[in-house]
Amino acid sequence: MDFISILRFYFFYPSFFDIIIFPGLILFAVILLTAIWFERKAAARVQMRVGPYYASKRSGGFLQLVADALKFVFSEMIIPDQVNPTLFVLAPALLLMISILPFAVVPVSIIPKSGSIFSPYFHDFYDPNIGMGVLSGFFTQYNLVLVLALEAIYPIFIIFMGWVTNNRFAILGSVRETMLSVSYDVLIFMATVSLALEFHTLDIAQIVQRGIPGILANPFAALVFFIGMLIGSSRFPFDIVEAETELVVGPATEYSGFLFVITMAPAYIGNFIYSFIFVDLFLGGWLPFTGLPGAAYTALKAVIVLFFSVFMRSVYGRYRLDQALRGSWKYLFPLSLFALIFGMVVGFLWIA
Amino acid sequence: MDSVKKEPKEYKKENPIGLFGDHLNAIATGLKYFAKPQRITLKYPEESIRLPTGYRGLIRLYKDVCIGCTLCAMICPADAMKMMTQEGKKLPIINYGRCVFCGFCVDICPVDALKETGVHDVAFSNRRDLIFDPDKFNKNYDVPFTGVVRKVRAEVDEKKGIRYVPDS
Repeated sequence: MDFISILRFYFFYPSFFDIIIFPGLILFAVILLTAIWFERKAAARVQMRVGPYYASKRSGGFLQLVADALKFVFSEMIIPDQVNPTLFVLAPALLLMISILPFAVVPVSIIPKSGSIFSPYFHDFYDPNIGMGVLSGFFTQYNLVLVLALEAIYPIFIIFMGWVTNNRFAILGSVRETMLSVSYDVLIFMATVSLALEFHTLDIAQIVQRGIPGILANPFAALVFFIGMLIGSSRFPFDIVEAETELVVGPATEYSGFLFVITMAPAYIGNFIYSFIFVDLFLGGWLPFTGLPGAAYTALKAVIVLFFSVFMRSVYGRYRLDQALRGSWKYLFPLSLFALIFGMVVGFLWIA
Repeated sequence: MDSVKKEPKEYKKENPIGLFGDHLNAIATGLKYFAKPQRITLKYPEESIRLPTGYRGLIRLYKDVCIGCTLCAMICPADAMKMMTQEGKKLPIINYGRCVFCGFCVDICPVDALKETGVHDVAFSNRRDLIFDPDKFNKNYDVPFTGVVRKVRAEVDEKKGIRYVPDS
């Protein structure tokens, strides 16, 4: 093998290409700016305003976010006196890292035996359940469980961030996160478990390859998962952790400059990764495409789901903490139990 | 009578399916406005509303008409207007940092030496620039804006609320 083909081999190796290049970090950076821009523009349209406009009028003020990001990068990072500076700087970085981590095991497409750009890696990412390779950073047969486990670490680091900043707004935001995380983790867990029981597998790729979108097979689980996703990534109407009018920005209160950008990103990235799981489980994933077009199709649907969930900002106000907890335990938790039983029945009758 | 007890609000009966319908309705309304936005923003520097004729904007002085009677400085409720002597003649100066645009000075002037112009959108980079001496006060304040300003008029529209139509 000459040098170019070796480079090509390692460039398209799914653990690198999937995580860093295409539906990975580079797409996340672009989508982060686009989602915030879309959030502001959509809220402005609904609220009879114009939104970002003067930074590049032709693209509707898209460069406003680039300008904001540049401004944040070059502004001063203030580290308070009575904190441990190492942990203070480390906390947002850890949070960002943990928020990206679940993407390593989310399958975005499948690798056919030949014909695709990823076909040389067919045997390395071979999934015996479906008889195909799976395009994901790291393949295990139990990736549904692993995704949930990795997502469940995320609230701990929000609490850690609120704790190291030595600020009472941050502590209050962290306490709210602890209360909410119990409820939304239960909702997401029940929704995915009902899908797993319905499709008799813990492999996301096998659920997609079955060819039945989960939203048809179990619409209740889809609703519960979507709302759990909104709570988990603190989108409106569950923007309770970083409630700007009550707690300045919640756990990120003391952060300024570039560290603030890093604290803002994980919520959007978490939402984007939840959107990927939502697309895989409920919206049919990459079917009918395979390889790179399949990954692009999955990413496109995930972007649409992400945009829909940031669109909620323009529709809703913010629930109180007790309202959100009551809603999730009183209405959504029984609904998720019902979805579990519904999934078992439908899985027994229809999806043998 | 004692059977009528007000229940705590948290425990009132709610119809979950009705609540779900309300949420769908709210999202549908949001999507409707997203698809057909009804913006009422005035894109200000490019278009501005034509002001009515009696608009109380910046005040200007006619130096030749002024008789130096000091009535304007006396009536001024904000102490914005003061008198100064220039070449042996008493003339008013104004500090726009204090002025509240009440127009009392214009009303009280016995010889109509003060006049309200329709200009209100001005900016100063320095507080000292806010004090207009008689020479600066003697002319209309020109807005140094080079762009094209479309003058518009606000109209009440049945469907949209407010509509801006070009004013000829």
